[in-house]
Amino acid sequence: MTDADRTIKIAPVTRLEGHGELTIKLTKTGKVKDVQFNVSSTRFFEKFLEGRFAEEAPRIAPRICGICPEPHHLAATKAVEAAWDITPPPAAIRLRRLLINAKQFSSHALHFFALAAPDFLAGPLGDPALRNVVAIIKAMPDVGKMALEMMQFGQDLAAAVGGKAIHPVTSTPGGMLNPFSEEKRDLFLKRVENVKKQTLETVTLAKRVVQDYWDPITKLAVTPTYYLGMHNKGNLEIFDGNLRVMDPEGKVVADFRPKDYQKYYGEYVPKHSYATHIYYRPAGYPAGIWRANTLARLNVADKMATPIAQEALQEMRDALGRPIHATFAYHWARIIELVQAIEEIEDLLKDPQIVSKDTKLSDVQPKKGDGVGCVEAPRGTLIHHYWTDERGIITKANMVVATNNNIAGIEKSLMVAAKQIFEDKAHENLKLPDPMIK
Amino acid sequence: MITPKTTAPGKAVRKDKKSTFEPRIMAFCCNWCSYAGADLAGTSRMQMPPNVRIIRVNCTGRIDISFILDALYQGADGVLVSGCHPGDCHYTSGNLKMKSRFALLKRLLEEAGLEPERVHLQWASAAEGEVFAEGITNMVERIKKLGPNPVGRRI
Amino acid sequence: MVKRIALAQLSSCWGCDQSLVDLHLKLLDVLPALDIVYWPAVVDYKMADLEAIPNHSIHFGFVEGSCRTKEDLHLLRLMRQKSKLLVAWGSCSAYGGVQGLGNQWELNDLLERKFLKADTITEGRIPEENLPGFTEHVTPNPDIVDFEVILPGCPPTSENTAEALTALISGKPYDLPDKTVCDQCPKERKEKKIKKFFRTHEGHIDPNKCLLDQGYLCLGFATIGLCGAQCPTVNTPCKGCFGPPPNIKDHGAKIISALGAIADMTPEELERAFPDPIGSFYFTDYASSYLSRIRGKQRSRKKK
Ligand code: SF4
Ligand code: SF4
Ligand code: SF4
Ligand code: FES
Repeated sequence: MTDADRTIKIAPVTRLEGHGELTIKLTKTGKVKDVQFNVSSTRFFEKFLEGRFAEEAPRIAPRICGICPEPHHLAATKAVEAAWDITPPPAAIRLRRLLINAKQFSSHALHFFALAAPDFLAGPLGDPALRNVVAIIKAMPDVGKMALEMMQFGQDLAAAVGGKAIHPVTSTPGGMLNPFSEEKRDLFLKRVENVKKQTLETVTLAKRVVQDYWDPITKLAVTPTYYLGMHNKGNLEIFDGNLRVMDPEGKVVADFRPKDYQKYYGEYVPKHSYATHIYYRPAGYPAGIWRANTLARLNVADKMATPIAQEALQEMRDALGRPIHATFAYHWARIIELVQAIEEIEDLLKDPQIVSKDTKLSDVQPKKGDGVGCVEAPRGTLIHHYWTDERGIITKANMVVATNNNIAGIEKSLMVAAKQIFEDKAHENLKLPDPMIK
Repeated sequence: MITPKTTAPGKAVRKDKKSTFEPRIMAFCCNWCSYAGADLAGTSRMQMPPNVRIIRVNCTGRIDISFILDALYQGADGVLVSGCHPGDCHYTSGNLKMKSRFALLKRLLEEAGLEPERVHLQWASAAEGEVFAEGITNMVERIKKLGPNPVGRRI
Repeated sequence: MVKRIALAQLSSCWGCDQSLVDLHLKLLDVLPALDIVYWPAVVDYKMADLEAIPNHSIHFGFVEGSCRTKEDLHLLRLMRQKSKLLVAWGSCSAYGGVQGLGNQWELNDLLERKFLKADTITEGRIPEENLPGFTEHVTPNPDIVDFEVILPGCPPTSENTAEALTALISGKPYDLPDKTVCDQCPKERKEKKIKKFFRTHEGHIDPNKCLLDQGYLCLGFATIGLCGAQCPTVNTPCKGCFGPPPNIKDHGAKIISALGAIADMTPEELERAFPDPIGSFYFTDYASSYLSRIRGKQRSRKKK
């Protein structure tokens, strides 16, 4: 690097869970040379799971992420069940689906209202002190209250099924340790209707934001990449299904069972980040950079699994096509998944099996082998792969966490955005609405 | 006496240090048998290495595992626990409880990467001064082979 | 008077933070009394903003996470310097957290597994550019700087944090209870002798009886009673994620001592039941155990 080069460092990147810093390198003529997303911490779960009882992995692994512990809890359980060749009772599967959808719901609501909406409602160039959820609550109490109620519903439901609001505990190889009581089910059935209504209101709010920000959404950081996501016979799926990879042109290039992931997953270790970059192996790196996350799932799925969500998806596809590369369209995609989550939650709560007492096998035998557990976390496809010995002790673990699927894609879209901002000054020509809160 | 085999890593000791190394041993002795045994060993002037510090306890069943670990943390090179023979414990089975704890303790040390031979459990009755003295001598020999506690000297 | 508060995250899962956010509407009760001067998870402040704050001017500094990187060490010392009252928030901060289990290995082993030998990696290397570098060993934060308040939990429940915050705002001390999870547990414990230990996938748990009495290793008896016995209430054994009660120095040692007394099993059977005492008896607090501290000393001596 010559003296005239300039480095911009943003540390830490805020309103993003995880430890990230941004390094932007500019040449003296103001050209963007490099954008680095420096994930600056990691805690080595892969190693310290070794030697543990495999059934403890569902207790340990959630600590990978306190924002999305449920997917880790479930992927860990599924990995052990796959390694030991066991199928839990149907009621357990329903409870797990309820758990993951509850998380999906609360996470998307939180992400939309607390992490993304501040930029839209206060304006991306607005006062930094106003660009946060607390300011929104003060300035737009109705929206704030609705947001809080929705997040609360999702977190309460996740806590009721998982046993604990953060770092759930009830899922174990062979089933669920705690059946769902009828009293609890009734309480949530009472609340679900109102929350569903609020979800639909959020769709309206999101559509308004999308219209207001049509310019930046369709012009800023539009980054074609591959996409990875789960589906079940073409329907968007987050608990159990096949994985699909779509290329930047929109062609499905792979459709496979999660247990075969090693054929399709490449893991690149960048020199500047503790989070590795996952990519589509057959295409190589960096050509095969993919993104997972909501937009990716919407891109690879033929349709949504529930009717209202499907309508919403159709509306988005009519406006933006398929695949959608616009990074800011993630916010819209998230709302569509929010709808599917609440519809699935309602169906599950109404299913009489959800209160069945038969939630766990009692004759589970550990064995030597390996197993892959895969679910969709709100931020993307999550894989846990464990090897166990005859006693059911973990001898090796490989994990591909949701975010790592997206880091390279984030970097790529940041590069696009940085070029637009530092070189083309694109942001000065964008049509931005008057912020709703100032 | 079983010759210990070292399984834990990090046992490499520099030769020059080894010759001058005098291990410090902490011994927890039950009041009823072993302490009397230790006393006997002392009064009958049996040969016993000088590098032992003896702590008297009511019964080995009263020894919390954290006492042993604390001793190691404070720099003891080895910890010896000496109690009554099985069946002779004045509190019926304190020594057996200790034996169970000891099994887990050893496994714990091994897993943590510290030589399990640094701790030892033995039985010695009030009349067995020589058994006690021999236990100490063996302990010293064993620890000399292992070298000093990796934590460094503090006591 | 409005109190200035800073919330900082060292290496962590952000669950403690999420648990505070989960207060949702109740957050509105405490927020008016607080002026947030640093909270990167929620507010757009940068490290430089924290560095610019005058020393000792933050009333309450909340530190989540433990020092896995050298940047964490910097942030921890910075928080100490800027705060009048520092809170070790969550089990990572109080005891080192689940990542303390990594202290069983050398840093090189950890790096190797993650960056060189992971099954999906084609060409491994250890990333270094624009990155802080790792600490050799996870040392509990209270061994590095002084704390006025310890609030363990993985995470502390929303109520735990709210209660501590409310006490601090009103100038009251916040002390930990000398209770155990068993004291809070709805299940009746008969203190039966245990003939055989079961793993959670084995058998059926009777929802009406104490899990330990049934032979499941529930660590409620050796764990501080702060969480409201969340896990045993839902038929799941307590793994001790809140750490031991305040007067107990070593969680695992306490558990082993108790097992010797309650298990009606031969030493060999007991050893066979727990081949991984570190994983079974320490969960979020291995880094603060005697053994991990011994290894920590050994590692820092080796470096010198
Ligand atoms: S204490 Fe637990 S919840 Fe809090 S940051 Fe650490 S791992 Fe996460
Ligand atoms: S179930 Fe666990 S927490 Fe409850 S009384 Fe028994 S040992 Fe204690
Ligand atoms: S019951 Fe035990 S494991 Fe569960 S939250 Fe409480 S302290 Fe943690
Ligand atoms: S009284 Fe000697 S061991 Fe119990």
